[in-house]
Amino acid sequence: MPYAVKKYSHVTDKQASVNGKPFPVAAAESGQFLTALYRSLKVDYPKFFKMDALSKLGFLASELILMDEQPRFTPREDVAIICFNRSSSLDTDVAYQATIQHEESYYPSPSAFVYTLPNIVTGEIAIRNKFFGETSFYVCRERDAQQMSQTVEQAFCDKHTRMALAAWVECFEGTCEAFMELVERR
Amino acid sequence: MEELILQLKQEIINVLNLEDVAPGDIADDAPLFGEGLGLDSIDALELIVLMEKLYGIKLKDPAQGREIFKSIRVMATYIHANRTK
Repeated sequence: MPYAVKKYSHVTDKQASVNGKPFPVAAAESGQFLTALYRSLKVDYPKFFKMDALSKLGFLASELILMDEQPRFTPREDVAIICFNRSSSLDTDVAYQATIQHEESYYPSPSAFVYTLPNIVTGEIAIRNKFFGETSFYVCRERDAQQMSQTVEQAFCDKHTRMALAAWVECFEGTCEAFMELVERR
Repeated sequence: MEELILQLKQEIINVLNLEDVAPGDIADDAPLFGEGLGLDSIDALELIVLMEKLYGIKLKDPAQGREIFKSIRVMATYIHANRTK
């Protein structure tokens, strides 16, 4: 394998951990765990609140991994972001559809519409961290570790990529799970 | 007018998900874009939808928003003069 895992994070709608160690999060109201995690991370990024759940999830998983990395926010072209999931952006697609479902209340929401693509997650992480490397988002039938690993390997086939954030980021009908790895070229 | 200004602030906070902002944090005459609340182009589109949904005002030309969304007070004055609901 051309890369090694340096660090990993795991976030669900109930708990978060880094390298297998639980990350302490202040008590949250039902359905508000991601917001509670954001506050516990002490991140100042108001755009977080405008994101859909899928982007929030990916964003938080990346913050957990990158919070202690130095330097941060230095523009880099050698970091790739590769995400996978099963349900694409379906949650948000449904929410957007609701804004255009009825003729008598036809008010298409621009802020919902912008999140009706799953790869917005990779964009949010890239913008936040000034990563200008390759980004991609694969929608798969199942979570297939081998397929994911091969895809990440391919990202290292170019000469530029030194590091990658690789993640399963799935969010559908209130159930969320992100498993993200920071991998480095060997 | 003061009541409309307060209602507008609350609606903007809700619609634009300005989580850490309270109505009292928004000055009536402060710019909504650029400085001030620092809203972006998607927020501008969301405000156009808000105007239609809540007040029955349909902006035919999105460029009109540049003038109307200058500040909360300017927006409230425009709504007061043009609302259909």
